[in-house]
Amino acid sequence: MRKLRPETADDAWPRADFSRVPYSVFTDYDIYRRENQRIFRGPVWNYLCMEIELPAAGDFVTTWVGETHVIAARNAAGAVHAFENSCAHRGARLTSAVRGNAPHLTCPYHLWTYTLEGDLQGVTFQRGVGGKGGMPATFQKNEHGLNQMRVAILGGLVFGTFSDATAPLEDFLGPHSIAQIERLLVQRKPKVLGYLRQRIPGNWKLYNENVRDPYHGSLLHQFQVSFGLQQPTMRGGIKLDSDLKNTWNHSIVTEQDAASQKIVAEAYAGTGKFNPDLKMADPALTRVPLDLGDNYKTTILSMFPTLVVAQVDNTYAIRHLRPKGPDLVELHITYLGFESDTPQQTRDKLLTVNFIGPAGYISLEDGEALRLVQEGIRHRRPGDHEVLEMGGVGPIVDTDYLSQEISIRGFWSFYHRVMGLPGPADAEAAA
Amino acid sequence: MSDWLLQARVQAFMVEYAACLDEERFDDWVALFDPIDDCTYEVLSRENRDLGLPAPIMGCYSHGMVCDRVAMLVKGVLTYRHNHLLRQVSNVRVLPAAAGGQAQAFGVRAGLVVYQSDPEGVSSLYMVARYEASLADLHGKLLIQRMAVVVDSFGIDTMLAVPL
Repeated sequence: MRKLRPETADDAWPRADFSRVPYSVFTDYDIYRRENQRIFRGPVWNYLCMEIELPAAGDFVTTWVGETHVIAARNAAGAVHAFENSCAHRGARLTSAVRGNAPHLTCPYHLWTYTLEGDLQGVTFQRGVGGKGGMPATFQKNEHGLNQMRVAILGGLVFGTFSDATAPLEDFLGPHSIAQIERLLVQRKPKVLGYLRQRIPGNWKLYNENVRDPYHGSLLHQFQVSFGLQQPTMRGGIKLDSDLKNTWNHSIVTEQDAASQKIVAEAYAGTGKFNPDLKMADPALTRVPLDLGDNYKTTILSMFPTLVVAQVDNTYAIRHLRPKGPDLVELHITYLGFESDTPQQTRDKLLTVNFIGPAGYISLEDGEALRLVQEGIRHRRPGDHEVLEMGGVGPIVDTDYLSQEISIRGFWSFYHRVMGLPGPADAEAAA
Repeated sequence: MSDWLLQARVQAFMVEYAACLDEERFDDWVALFDPIDDCTYEVLSRENRDLGLPAPIMGCYSHGMVCDRVAMLVKGVLTYRHNHLLRQVSNVRVLPAAAGGQAQAFGVRAGLVVYQSDPEGVSSLYMVARYEASLADLHGKLLIQRMAVVVDSFGIDTMLAVPL
């Protein structure tokens, strides 16, 4: 493998509060390769799938951990195991199926078989044919299993890690995440209504910034503003976990009054984007009631490195980032209903899906925003960086307001640490 | 009416459907839909279809919702990648009317390939899909009662703003 280039002054992070982010983290292929080692194979819990996607023994799904293709499977005893989808013999992919059911896995190339725990079960012609050939007596099957992950499950979410140094899952997620997982995924039993996939030509961390950025919510997404889903005047805020990597941001239902309309009009003055008279021919989409009675309009739980559990109005979804190089990421969405939903509530969710995903009145714009950033930074000068000062600089803290980028700085402080990147000597001080 | 005449009318209808969208004559596109109560337009992922999962990528369940989808584009509400699109409709088939069904309604199947071209003239394949439509022949005019666009390329490139 080609050696990674040494880190240079251009990679340095100039501010200890992470209010400057060098653009090279979004474009540099060496940094991208380091992420695979230090993050996706490092001390983090990677989201794999939902437990409800593996209801029976033998069920498996394939997913991505960084750019590593992984199989998560439920074995005969009911336990979920996860391992790389690459044969221990010559490296072939065992399966190209996205999901399926099998008692064991067979490599198509030389028909080696593996258990659903990822252990090598059978080697064809291990003893040779007609007393000739075969594997040497020194070959031990138990030394040639698939590369396995440690698995942990919380609130029906299945996570895996390649590292022995990863903190227990509960500690890694933190109390705000656990409370929101309970609120969105445990108090009602979820069911999958469908999958949505969006291949966004931008770096996977730009999406992490996007979901930690309530500042853009009422500016980029005019549909939200026009129909009261998100207003700059809404109450809301952010809560961070203890090492700042996971953010819960939320906004709360508020009546649109004349004063808030005036603030919106002023914010949009001269942009040509504000359209107070916008009406829908059929407003049914914007009239679907929230079926959780807790008055949260939008809650976005963003967990390092690649998982988002999102409630946008009355939509509930798992968003999973699958990097495909420094400048492309698949956003994989598992769109949810609940076992307790009435037929009307299910119909409502098939309507409100129009808010999210690649064709969502709201979410399609995030794909475009990421594309525009990636295009814009492709050839910036070495050492150029983002400016993250909205909501305040300095300490990275919870807020009770929405126009802020503090939670983005939280993401970067953890990223910087886990990547072992060069930076100001006092970078730790911000955390 | 003879089969070949109906085939020719449906083929011309699908070409006009594609042209309305390619040329951004969105009002004309909306006018191809029958303003009945259960008029539907859906873009469906092949993945979900094969799994029997109901969520669409895009779903309009009334004539008004069909109007709204393109009104949001025309009124500049949405920030999206404004590429030139070329839809190629192929393999148009008219299905025999189901026995006992509405005499004038019938099914249509067709293939769709969409190319996108950016403002600097760089083109790429955007979408591979197939149409599954139910058309009504009302006093000599064809109208869409239900349209499902089943997308093979459900790993959507960036976004889907303009209907297929």
